[in-house]
Amino acid sequence: MTTADRSGAPRALLPRLRLWPAGGAGTAMLGIGLVMVAVLLVLALTVGLNPPREALTGNLRLRFRPPGTEGYLMGTDQLGRSVAGRVGAGMVWSLGIALVAATLALALGTVLGLIAAWVPGWPRRVIRTLIDTVIAFPSLVIAVTVIAIMGRGFWTLAITLGLATCPIAARVVYAEAMSLARRDYVVAAQLAGVGSTTILATHVLPALRPTLLTMFAFTFADMLVAESALSFLGLGVPLTAPSWGNMLSESREFLVEAPWLMLAPAGAIVFAVVALNLIGDGIAARARRRGRSAM
Amino acid sequence: MIETARPAAIAPVTAAGRPILEIEGLRVGFPGPGGNPPTVVLDGVDLTIRQGEILGLVGESGSGKSMLALAAMGLLPAPGRVLSGAIRIEGRDLTSLSERAWQQLRGGTLGMVFQDPMTGLNPVRSIGATLGESIRRHQRVAASDVARIAEAALRAVGIPAARERLSAYPHQLSGGLRQRVMIALALVNRPRVIIADEPTTALDATIQAQILDLLRERLHHAEGAGGLMITHDLGVAAEVCDRIAVIYHGRIVETGQTREVLADPRHPYTAGLLAAVPRFDGRGRRLVPIPGQPPGPAAERISCSFRPRCARASEACSAAPALSPPVQGRSVACHHSGGGQ
Amino acid sequence: MNRGAALRAALAKRLTELLVLLFAISTLLFFLLRLGGDPAMLMAGDEADPEVVALIRAQYGLDAPLWVQYLRYVVAMLSLDFGTSLSTGRDALGLVLERLGSTLLLAGLAVAITTAIAVPLGAWLGYRPERGDRQAVNAVVFVLQGIPGYIVGLLLIQLFVVELRWLTSIGNQGLSSWILPSFTLASFLVPKMVRVIAANVAEAMREDYIRTARATGASGRELLLFHALPNAVLGATALIGTQFAFLMSGSLITEVIFAWPGFGALLVASVTRLDFPVVQAAVFMIAVLVFLVNAGTDVLFSLIDPRLRRQTA
Repeated sequence: MTTADRSGAPRALLPRLRLWPAGGAGTAMLGIGLVMVAVLLVLALTVGLNPPREALTGNLRLRFRPPGTEGYLMGTDQLGRSVAGRVGAGMVWSLGIALVAATLALALGTVLGLIAAWVPGWPRRVIRTLIDTVIAFPSLVIAVTVIAIMGRGFWTLAITLGLATCPIAARVVYAEAMSLARRDYVVAAQLAGVGSTTILATHVLPALRPTLLTMFAFTFADMLVAESALSFLGLGVPLTAPSWGNMLSESREFLVEAPWLMLAPAGAIVFAVVALNLIGDGIAARARRRGRSAM
Repeated sequence: MIETARPAAIAPVTAAGRPILEIEGLRVGFPGPGGNPPTVVLDGVDLTIRQGEILGLVGESGSGKSMLALAAMGLLPAPGRVLSGAIRIEGRDLTSLSERAWQQLRGGTLGMVFQDPMTGLNPVRSIGATLGESIRRHQRVAASDVARIAEAALRAVGIPAARERLSAYPHQLSGGLRQRVMIALALVNRPRVIIADEPTTALDATIQAQILDLLRERLHHAEGAGGLMITHDLGVAAEVCDRIAVIYHGRIVETGQTREVLADPRHPYTAGLLAAVPRFDGRGRRLVPIPGQPPGPAAERISCSFRPRCARASEACSAAPALSPPVQGRSVACHHSGGGQ
Repeated sequence: MNRGAALRAALAKRLTELLVLLFAISTLLFFLLRLGGDPAMLMAGDEADPEVVALIRAQYGLDAPLWVQYLRYVVAMLSLDFGTSLSTGRDALGLVLERLGSTLLLAGLAVAITTAIAVPLGAWLGYRPERGDRQAVNAVVFVLQGIPGYIVGLLLIQLFVVELRWLTSIGNQGLSSWILPSFTLASFLVPKMVRVIAANVAEAMREDYIRTARATGASGRELLLFHALPNAVLGATALIGTQFAFLMSGSLITEVIFAWPGFGALLVASVTRLDFPVVQAAVFMIAVLVFLVNAGTDVLFSLIDPRLRRQTA
């Protein structure tokens, strides 16, 4: 019955969907989001991969210069390093970790979700129990503990975050695949004797595409926030790495004399998250308008 | 006073009371984007419902029949609005009413039964709460009487164990019972006009007959009230209604006593609808569908709207025919309806 | 399905989840700790005297075979014996329990603030979502949703503590010290809940039963308050479970920022100090809270939702 579908799992997990952006709004959101991401990408590939010398080695005579100082767009920090340069260099850490974590979460989640949807019996029961169990538990607690033991670092962080997040993706994919499995055209294909692998490849995966794309954008944003939160707690990337979370963490000591140390990385995080949310909501709105569900 | 304003010739054969709902030259439209001319969904509709009478408004989907019901309830979906014409209840024009005045009419003077009883009742409110809300809104009664009135309303629509049902929730009732609740909700404040929009379409065939019986019985039973039954199904209209109005492309194309319209349809569209209704009286007969598709609301109305689908179409049909003045309560809008009448 | 039976099944499911969770997490901790190197070395520190390391190894039974260690560990967990804190020598569970009140106070305040903001604002947004003013506010909420909660906390400190000097940002020292942490924690939830309520209200307003209520003469206010909002809030209640996990993650960070004496800050500090008995006790406490909240939601649902429509979410 429709009421049961309406209260189904996907909305419970990704409540920001199903809002109103209708008609052309979805396309506009997607467009703006893509332009913002393109800006980030260009900066990451230029400044990020080749950070200016001023970003890494400080100049103690140039400490705490406010934004706009000659040659220092966003000022300098407590060691006289260029804040703009460090925000750029931080992209490789922050965006890189989020990218790896989101990809891992989605890939693993899709596989788990499809197995649960396609293999009834104990595989479904086990996976569903695991999903429900892990989702209800604060993922930050898991991540904090694992990283404390395994040590800080790019890959530890990316893999931990990816693993801790994959149940959410798994539940969304599971719910979506289950509803697809009940669609007439899938049932018709089954009755016609089409193999389940073929059905998966030709009917289910293509229909999941908008869901997966939307979820990738949102998960990417969530991972970005999670990385910065962990680094902020001192349990993320190595303490010397210029990730946005680390910069925020360091800035706390200088809130009074140099608020720009906090505002620059905070602005970068918000910019990236808003861009990804725009893309996610934009894709969802467009898919909804075309009558396909994106969760 | 209103009776004297009407020529006696219009009075239908079966003696009905005075007009209770009068719709005159009603045009309803949706404004076009950027100040374009509106899309007209009802174009000059005239209808009269008298006390003790049930009028059936019959048409295909998209003919404007539901828009007429919503207009009469003041519930046109935005941005649709009444462009011109009048909707009168006991002589009082409603088209310029404030929203507050409408709220007093709806559920009180005007009762409405909708199509889908599965989604039409609030799932988290009990039947008693839903009925009670409407009773308290329109009747000045003591709080202790509300439950008694609600229970009586349920009993009046044939719901067994009415008192227990007051605390039931919609999901605990079958589709047929839910539609009975919807009817009780429409009737509970003794409205003067009862509008039913496809009240049986969403129900199982066996339940449909029961609900139609109930509607016919309750609507005739409601003293001094009139009923408007909207349906796409001539068979349903034949079961319940005293008179029938056939609507096509936002215009009334034929009206008359049910028996007469069914026996002698004068508009080719009415005849076509009749030929498409299955009959169970034993006479073997092929069902003949009407060819083509009904026009969209935006289609032009300069020529007869039915012309592209009409077997009898001729040169004369390039001008849209007007509804003829009533003779013995019958009107028809067709150049080929036997002219001389 | 019978209401009582459905509730019992739901609660049994929650209990299974709790057991699976406790088992999975403790096993994960146990093996990670051994995988990550010699736990005794980890506890003693890199430059520790070999004799000290040996002492620790003997004291914690780390010289026994792995499976014996694991069995002992599971038995200890089952008897709620988490050991004593490595840094303070006090009972680990006791340390966590004495900080429970502060964490619950902060979480309760944040939930109250979230509800007070999200329900009215969401109702207002969702009632007429197509209007220009709602679209503008919706855009603001959208951007706010992109601001991580701990950045909100830093901004609040910047504004109210550094610039205006109105409030304090350290610890639990009475009412005025509650304001910033509770609003910070609420900011983790508010934008999402506003959008959920708004979307639910907007969806409810399109339902057939709203048209039915209109046809009985209900005013716009009555439609919203009696019909759309109860359904919308009921739908949002289904999110309590997932949102509670989110709330706990948020309180971890919030407690650190504001030096709030809850067990979230204790957990982070213990994790940094590798004080594993305390970490385990804190994780156990969080798992129990998650269970209680979810079970409570199930009971609440069976009481307030006449359809009992929620089966798995």
